[in-house]
Amino acid sequence: MPRLDVAPDYTLLARVLRDPATLDGLSPEAFARTMDAAHRARLLGWLVEQVRVGHVPADSPDWLRDRLITADALVRGYERSVRWEIDRLSRAFHDTGQVWILLKGAGYIAAGLPPGAGRRLADIDILVPMRDLGAVERILEEHGWEFPEIDAYDNRYYREWMHELPPMVHRDRRSIVDVHHGILPQTSRLKPSSERLIAQATTLGTGVRVLCPAHMLLHAAAHLFHDGEIAGAIRDLVDLDQLLRWFGRDQAFWDDLRRETPALDLARPAYYALRYVGRWFGTPMPDDVVADMAAWAPPAPVGRLMDTLVDRAVMGNSARASSAAVFGLYVRSHWLKMPPLHVIRHLTRKALK
Amino acid sequence: MPSSESPLSYLATSGLQLSLGPFLVRVRSDLAGVREYLERLYADFPLSRAEGGHFDVAVIASGGLRKWVRPQANLIVNGEHPFFPLPGHLAGAVFEWSLNWCVGNQAHRWVAVHAGVLERNGRTLILSGESGAGKSTLCAALALSGWRLFSDEFALIDPDSGRLTPLPRPIALKNASIEIIRARSRDVVFGREGVDIEGARFVHMKPPVESVRRARDDAAPAWVIAPRWVAARPTVLEPLPKARALLRLTDQSFNYNYLGAKGFECVAQLVRRSECYTLEYSDLDDVLTRLESLTAS
Repeated sequence: MPRLDVAPDYTLLARVLRDPATLDGLSPEAFARTMDAAHRARLLGWLVEQVRVGHVPADSPDWLRDRLITADALVRGYERSVRWEIDRLSRAFHDTGQVWILLKGAGYIAAGLPPGAGRRLADIDILVPMRDLGAVERILEEHGWEFPEIDAYDNRYYREWMHELPPMVHRDRRSIVDVHHGILPQTSRLKPSSERLIAQATTLGTGVRVLCPAHMLLHAAAHLFHDGEIAGAIRDLVDLDQLLRWFGRDQAFWDDLRRETPALDLARPAYYALRYVGRWFGTPMPDDVVADMAAWAPPAPVGRLMDTLVDRAVMGNSARASSAAVFGLYVRSHWLKMPPLHVIRHLTRKALK
Repeated sequence: MPSSESPLSYLATSGLQLSLGPFLVRVRSDLAGVREYLERLYADFPLSRAEGGHFDVAVIASGGLRKWVRPQANLIVNGEHPFFPLPGHLAGAVFEWSLNWCVGNQAHRWVAVHAGVLERNGRTLILSGESGAGKSTLCAALALSGWRLFSDEFALIDPDSGRLTPLPRPIALKNASIEIIRARSRDVVFGREGVDIEGARFVHMKPPVESVRRARDDAAPAWVIAPRWVAARPTVLEPLPKARALLRLTDQSFNYNYLGAKGFECVAQLVRRSECYTLEYSDLDDVLTRLESLTAS
């Protein structure tokens, strides 16, 4: 008996991501498969947005309409629960004078940016000055977040090598907060300055702070092309595309990006971000930016290897066919953030666990 | 594959489509246990070749050595893996649990409340009980004595109409209730008895054919009852304040938080329109008589 194919249809999802109008012509069954793949890739919020602007098969049976109602309720619920957590964090830090900045998904939701729409988050990431880590730990503990028991190795992994505390879990809501003191691990070869990120952060109307637009983009790029979580490659690339389209309407954003990229030591990840969103989504960019970024490119053989690895990781996501590519990027991401001996020790340990 | 064959033959290929109350479910499985379970308990349901529907459920054997050594059943629902692999001998039950997961997590067109529901003369009785309170036993006993089974797991409330939607499926019975219900129903079909991962004996009872035939006929809410089986207790039926009933149903709801204000209003409206009671009992026959006279008035 042949094995049943239960892998999400990322090929179809990638086609739809490039051209949302494709959705209109899908059969109800193919539309449902796209929804499943989108849900798995944490892009259900994106898909629901497309439905809201009218990209849906003209002839939808009852079951598909029911599923759209479900999807709509799900993504509203995801976003609502993140807003609630942000509210709880604001309450915890209220009147403490503590600097804290929302990163990634929670930042997109707080700032009302397109990649925040209907987003499901596994955790809330915040950035605080390194010297305040102890104070932040105490504030969060007073308000119900605690450290689950982890072994000494993992504790050391987080605290000494990474750029964050071990995840803190709220004792009632089970929500997770990751407290970072940098956007890349301490052991990483690139050293973006947290002081610079914090100094230029934007304060929203609610008093909550997020990274400024150029830093947000650079952080997303560093996360995808320099950090560990390649399984979410497709989602991260969509984030970059949406951020660039949103911020890129303002010429000042591009000037900031060109200045901040070298200032944060993130030339290579920025190059990859612009290259791969252009390649995948045809994201509009000013010609002079495209010309300038050539200076940030890797040597040609490395570039060709990255093209192959990234395309496969995006297309295959978790599919078996591209697991070698995903593993290649996984090892690479550790290579970039740890000294070589650390990489070998760490990956050996993770493999044996 | 020739179309004259049983739709069950699609199970291991393109998928079998089951029509379950308001849901169309595509099922695929390469485990004999799933096919056997469906043959036995879902024979009365509309079955066809899968074309797309609300839920896409696959119960798949683990590969490699696990094919032979302590086989496992893996569950994939709409592209997600909601549970860890479970022992292969539970394959039929895994399918049943997967449907619970689907309705609880992926059916927000309705407000879904954990409850047993039965109908008589177009009016429904909602049994809201925590696990172990004897809800399924009472539900099965009522389904075998003139009530139409809506569901032993879910009250599905349509937020637009305020009415209840049937979702008849096999009733899960545990431990001592297995013998109690078997003794009341010599001609009813049961699945294979098993032991779940918590060590409880369980069996699934085939739903009455009439309830399956009328699976698209909805009904109005009328009674909300919170039953509790207590050894040697005489039957006591007492009014339950509506505020308490509302809290109870929202607490037992899987998705009312996802529906926001609409979900709250829907459950509140149902409680307003229903008579609400708590019920303590030990004698099943006595409680059936009491409910009979309560609902006949």
